[in-house]
Parts: sequence; structure tokens; C-alpha cells
Amino acid sequence: MTTASTGLGGARLRLRREPMFPLWSIAGVAAVVAILATYPLYGTEYVMNLLGMFVCFSIFALSISLIWGFAGILSLGQAIYFGMGAYFIALSLKLSYAAENPTRYGGTIPDYMEWNGLEEVPTIMAPLMHLEVAIVCLLFFPTLLAFIFGVITFKRHIYGVYCAVITLAEALILQEFIIEYQAYTGGFNGITDYETYNNMYFLWIILGVAVVLFGATRLLTHSRIGTVLKSVRDNDVRAEFNGYEVANYRIFVFCFASMMAAVAGGLYAAWMGIVSHLDTGPILSIEGVIWAAVGGRSTVIGPFVGTFLVKGAEFFLSQQLAWAWQLVMGLLFIFVVKFMPDGIIGTMGKSIANRRMRSAYAETGGAYGAETLSIADRLRAVFAGGNASFMDYLFGRDGRRG
Amino acid sequence: MGDAVLTQFFSGFSLVAILIIAALGLAVIFGVAGVINMAHGEFIMVGAYVASVVQSGLGGNTFWSIPICFVAVGLLGLVVERTVIRGLYDRPLETLLATWGVSLILIVIIKMIFGTELHYVGSPEMLQGGFPAPGNLPFPWYRLFLILLSILLLVLTFILFFRTKFGLAVRAVRRNRTMSEAMGINTARVDMLIFAYGSGLAGVAGAVLAPIKTVSPTMGFPYAVDSFMVLVMGGVGNLLGVPVGAAIIGEGETILAFLFNSVIGKLLVFLLIVLVIRIVPRGIFGYQERTLGHRR
Amino acid sequence: MSENILEITGLVTRVSGYTILDDLHFSVQENELRVLLGPNGAGKTTLIDMISGRYKPTGGKIHFRGRDITGLPPHKIFKRGICRKFQVPNMYETLRVFDNVMISLAGHRLVVQSLFHKHTAADHERVVEILEFIGLAGKAEYPADALSHGERQWLEMGMLIAADPKMLLLDEPTTGMTEADKQKTAGLIQRIAERHTVLLVEHDMHVVRRLARYVTVLHQGNILAEGSLEDVVANEQVRQVYLGQGKFGGA
Repeated sequence: MTTASTGLGGARLRLRREPMFPLWSIAGVAAVVAILATYPLYGTEYVMNLLGMFVCFSIFALSISLIWGFAGILSLGQAIYFGMGAYFIALSLKLSYAAENPTRYGGTIPDYMEWNGLEEVPTIMAPLMHLEVAIVCLLFFPTLLAFIFGVITFKRHIYGVYCAVITLAEALILQEFIIEYQAYTGGFNGITDYETYNNMYFLWIILGVAVVLFGATRLLTHSRIGTVLKSVRDNDVRAEFNGYEVANYRIFVFCFASMMAAVAGGLYAAWMGIVSHLDTGPILSIEGVIWAAVGGRSTVIGPFVGTFLVKGAEFFLSQQLAWAWQLVMGLLFIFVVKFMPDGIIGTMGKSIANRRMRSAYAETGGAYGAETLSIADRLRAVFAGGNASFMDYLFGRDGRRG
Repeated sequence: MGDAVLTQFFSGFSLVAILIIAALGLAVIFGVAGVINMAHGEFIMVGAYVASVVQSGLGGNTFWSIPICFVAVGLLGLVVERTVIRGLYDRPLETLLATWGVSLILIVIIKMIFGTELHYVGSPEMLQGGFPAPGNLPFPWYRLFLILLSILLLVLTFILFFRTKFGLAVRAVRRNRTMSEAMGINTARVDMLIFAYGSGLAGVAGAVLAPIKTVSPTMGFPYAVDSFMVLVMGGVGNLLGVPVGAAIIGEGETILAFLFNSVIGKLLVFLLIVLVIRIVPRGIFGYQERTLGHRR
Repeated sequence: MSENILEITGLVTRVSGYTILDDLHFSVQENELRVLLGPNGAGKTTLIDMISGRYKPTGGKIHFRGRDITGLPPHKIFKRGICRKFQVPNMYETLRVFDNVMISLAGHRLVVQSLFHKHTAADHERVVEILEFIGLAGKAEYPADALSHGERQWLEMGMLIAADPKMLLLDEPTTGMTEADKQKTAGLIQRIAERHTVLLVEHDMHVVRRLARYVTVLHQGNILAEGSLEDVVANEQVRQVYLGQGKFGGA
């Protein structure tokens, strides 16, 4: 039997190799980092505050992107890990602040503990006084919780909708826990009034961590394990019969993302100077999901773009009319899900890739992708409904995805 | 102590009944159409507001508001299905996100119409008071009414599914969507009507919740999460999953909340749910797939 | 005679009261190409599911290369050297054709290995070789969901070849193909069978006739006949089972 023609005239197959960090992306990241890092020198403090916060949230959105866009696990409780990280750091800073700045009644324990009738810092919490201990806890405990959750659910092939609903309930319960046990957590008002790290140097640290984590995610998603994760996302049954223990891959990526979210939370707490139950709840979790979705859930830059756009628009709009913002958020949710599931960056990337493929295969005689439709056809298709998204019609692709 | 727990057991009935009524709509929608309706809690909330309008505007009591809420929220569900859900049927996770958007919009609209202050709705006069029951406290008539109503709705849903031609079509669609389409069943219409019916049930839940809870724009979400937990626990493969899941969760939360506090109660029930799905991943009455994983 | 690589004894499968496989005894020898025949509902796919670990059997034992693999999860059975193809082609839809094969290459199945393994030039060569073998080298950069049905069948077979298992389970690899494509597939299978043990479920008699040396006919969860193709076709019982289906007409 002869092997079929390769369509490339018998030449050895040469694949277009995408570099891990293309030059334009390095230049782009450098430019963005330079603008953000030097902003405090010429900008206002208010905007600087926002920028630091947005970068923290971007890391959080990136962690959602990693598990949802690249591995297909939708968690509606990712803020659990963000919140855990935030609370570890906030508690630590608060404890050391209280030790040095006695309250009105002369106590050296956090004010909210005093109000709730505690005489001294609970022994379990006392070591958190040292920031190093808090950082170790921040890295360890959220990851441990994610590991336990992963072993319980993924090993039993529970994911998809069930996973989403369970993580949602988990976040809700953690939130109620924090409100209920206010003597330890600051309750409804959260933890505030501690020494914050809100200056240009800490902004640099946040940016540095963000760059490292974005780079790490890019490495992870564009190496062999990234391909395996995508294959698990696309078809976990095939992967299982191909010898991959799918659950282990899910657990690994879930733990990594949770640690990332916790780091984001820790930076956020140090930067903002306030942490509350809202930072652990379902609302923040789902907001993170929409940031990732708007930017492009299966891209690394997408979460960054999505967070800055949505969060930025929120601060701009909510100053005009608070309720209007919620309405916009709701409509944005529906629009993105229905018409732009790949997000801004994802859609752009796909259309570039499509065009490249089309020209590459034009000479070999094979047509690539969907046939070209006239604009009138596309509009007709949009109004006729169906499964494909608006962007897909525009770019002439059919609406399949995992 | 034993007496007090018994009292709690009886008072837990109202939560169980509410969970049945609330989760039934969700189970029907998820079980048949495969849609995760995150706006279910907000549908309940809208139902409660409609009930408050029925009382203050029309002077009707709960008996009036039940059918009115059913129709009103059912129509709302119809609109949502036609505009948002349609075209997303094979992507359950994305329906979840889209309906979350719907819930945000509903909250804003209700806030714009009714403001943020709490509304109160009274219960019908003939259901006030109660009768002596084991334990110390009297058993309120309203609680008995809730129990009867939840049973009635279960029976009606059962009849709709298993004794009507429409129900036959529904079951066919649930088992094999493609095949049903080939056999000439209008699956889009079945999905639409099922979504409207499930939403209507949420409206009923809102109508009966209004007299015993304060009505506010954000009241719905916890009920939605609890209803989801009922489905996860009981499974969606069988209508029996709803009452069983509701009974375990409702009674568990009530009794444990009395023994410890409400947060510990919720946590323990959550751990129980996780334990249950660890053993039976699709819930107690779920259709346990023999294949690996859950592919839709 | 070489050793039996696969040995099934007393395999029983019941699903909600229905018996699908009933006390089945079955064995395959090393480097054999065995064709599994049988009318719809005979239990062919179920047998493949049992061997590959998709379902747990109700009773009985499956031994592969002398070791018990009954009821193991699929990835462990894969590790022992069995890889299957699904009736409906099953692949990683959004990945490139190239990556579909690359990810199937033997070895590096643990998370840690995936984390640190870098694809070598040899890996690349091997994938290209396989792609040329299955005739998809020209479409290496296409996402898998852009392929036609026949190409998807080939891609999945390429993934199996890449995995280089001891034994391949092929569940109806020619469904939905044109006659020319079927012959091409048969050629592929023949080449694969030179170096691997193959258990093939096939309906198309042209393909079967080209490939089959030894045939097993399943009927109602049990073995109806076993032997060379000529013997089996001549078997009166087999003719009766297939009567009306016309499959053996003109044989």
C-alpha cells in the first residue's frame, strides 16, 4: 500500500512553529508594564489604586481562565481561594498592626476581636502575626482545599454542571461562615484599618508577580501538559482510553489555579487595606468568570484585557448610575455567552489563524473552513437564530466548540 | 431535648415543602431541557413581588396569587426562553452563565419598580393560627397548607409527565432528543413549554414564600442554591429525587441549625451532599450512567 | 502456536435485567487479526467496552498477557497495552491533527511527565510518519473538527498507531466511508496487523473478506461460530441468524 500524498509535493512536513513567547507579545507586555509601573509618577492616587486592584483581579481571572478555558472545569467558587489568600494576609497585617497600635481600650488585639469579647488572639491565629507564616499558609491551605475538593469530585467524574453548582454552594457557605464567626473574621464588615502596602514599590511587586504568573500560565498551556489539558477539555473519554488519568490532570490544574487565585487575593489584601466576606463569595467568583469570558477564556492575555475593560467600565459607569451598571453587567453576560463565546482576544486570534490557514492551503487546492458567505447571508443567518455565534457568522466559521 | 428536636422536626416541614416547590421547577427544567437556570431564585423573587401586588393592589390573598403568579412568572419564563436560552440547548454551562445575566437584570428591574425597601405580605385569614401538635408549639395551618400544596404540585407534575400525551413527548425528548426530533416531536416547543411550566412553579414558590419571608430583590439567590443542592442530592432522573432531596436537606438544615447554628447546619448538610455524590455521582435517584463521565 | 494474548472466561454482562453477554469464553492469540462478526445487538461493542474498561462486567474474568484486567479503569488497561477505537470517531476536536497524534504517542502519561517532557525531533518525525501513513500529513495543522468523517476515522486510527499498544480494538472503522475509502482503510488495518494484535468489529463483507483469517461470530451474547471465514460462512446456524439481512448473500 502506498501512503497517501501529503499534498505538499512529497516535501518533509514543516509545521509553523509558534514561539513560546513571540516577540510582539514580549514587547507588548513590556510596554503595558512600563505604563502601569510609571503611572504613580505622573497620575493620580485614585487611579493608581484602581490599577493595582485591576492587576490583582486580572491574576484572579487568569486562574479562572486556566481551569475553565484550558481544562474545561467551570468553578463558580474560585473566589474561595482568592478570599482565603486575602484573609490570611489581612489577618496577619491586622495582628501586627494591633500589636503596635493599642486600641482605645488599650488592647493589643484587633479591634473587632475586642468588640466581640475576645481577650486575646486565639492560639491558632497567633503565628499569623509573622507575615512569612501568613505567606506560607496562603500558598499551602488554599491548595490543600483545592486538592481535597478535586480528589472528592474529579476522581468520581463529577464536573461540568455539577461541579459548578457545588463550588457555588461552597462559596456561599464560606461567606456565611465568615459573617457568623465575626470574632475571628471581622464578620460582615471584614478586616480593615491595618497598615497597607499602597505605594509605587508595591505596585511593582504586584506587576512582577502578575508577569511571572502570566508567563508561567503561557508556559503551562503551550507545552505538552497544556495540550493534554485541552484534550481532556475536548474529549475526556478519549483521553481516558488514551491512557491519561484524566482526574489527576484536573486536580493538578485546579490546585495550581487555586494557588494563583490565593496569591492574587493576598496581594489584593495588602494593596486595598480592606477584606470582607464579599471577596470570598459567589458574586466575585461569577464576576471573575465574566472577566475571563469577555477577554477570551482560552487565552492568556484575555483575562487581563477582560478585567481591565469590564472593571474599568464598572468604575466609570457606576459613578453615573449605580443600577445601570448591574443592567449592563447582565446584558454583557448574555451577549458574551450567546454571541462571543471566545471573547475579544479569542475571536481575534481565531480569525487571524483562519486567515493564515486559508492562504496557506489555498495553493494546495483544499478549501479551509466554512465557505465564504456574503454579508447578507450572514445577517440572515443571525436573524434566523441557531447555535452559531454572531462572531462566528461574521468570520465565517461554524459554531462548534467544546 | 428530644421534645425540642421533635418540634424542630415538624417545623422543618415548611422548609421541606418550600424546597420541594422551589426545586420542582428547577428539576423539570434541568431534567428535560438540560438547562441550568441560575435565574430560578429571581423567578421566585418576582413571584413574591407579584403576590405582594396581588395583595396590595387587587386585595387578593395567597389563594388568588398562586394561579396569578404561576401564569405571570410562567410568561416571564417563556420570554426568557425565547430570547436567551434558545440556541444554547446543547451547552449547559453556557445557559448557566446566560441565566445569571438574566438574574442580574431581573434584580435591577424589580429595584427600579419597587425600590429597595422590604415588602410584607400577609397570609390568608383562614390559614392563620394553628392546631396542637406533638412537641410544645402549635402546628401552624399555613405549614400544613404548604405541605399539601407541595404534594399537590408533585402529583400534578407526575400526571402531566406520565398521564398526558404532552408528558409522553416530554419523556421522549428527555431520553433521546435526536430520535424524538426524527419522530416528528417538536422538541423546541417541548423545551419552551417545559421552561414556562418550571418557571411557573417558581412563581408559585414565590407566592407561598411571600407571607412567611420578607420580600426583597435579593431574596431569591439562597433558595436557588438550596434548590440546586436538592437536585444534586436527589438526582434529576426521577421525580422522587425532589421530595427525598428536599426532605434530607430541609430537615437536616432545620434540626442541625437548632442543635448548633444555622451556618454549621448548612456546612454539615453540604458535607453530607458531597459524601452522597461521592457514592452516587448523579444523586440518589439519578440515572447512573454506566459510561465514563457525563457527556451531553 | 503462539500464546493467547487475551483470554476471556465466563464473561457475563447484565444491564437493568437484560443479559447482553452470557457466559462468554473467548481468546485471541498474539499477533492475530481477529474479526468479530454478528448481527446488531449481538454484543460486539459491549465486548469491546468490557475489554477496554468502559464498563465493569457483571461476572467473569478478562486476562491480558497473563494478568487479570477485569474491571480496571481505562487508563490502567491502556497501560497494560490495549487501546481502542470508538464506533463514532472520538478525538480532540479543537486540537490540531498534529497534536491529536502527538498527544497519543506512547509514554509520558503521568502529570509530572507531561509537565516536564519536551517533544524531541524524533517525536516530531514519528508523528509526521504516522500522518503520512494515514494520509493526513497535508492537513496536519487543521483543527480535528474540520475533517470529514472518513478522515476522522483515519485520524483516530493514527492516534492508536501512535500509542503503539500490544493490542488494538477497532470498532467498525469503516462505517460511513465510500468503497474506495473502505479499501484504503482495509489496507491500513492490514499494515497495522503486521506488528500488532488486532480485534476488529466489521460489518462490511468486502473488507472482512480482504482481511479475515480467523473469524468469531457473536449472537445474543455468546459465540455462535468460530473458524476460518469459509467455514463460518458455510455454517448453517450463521446463515440462519443472518437470513434476511443479506450480508452473506453471494458468499
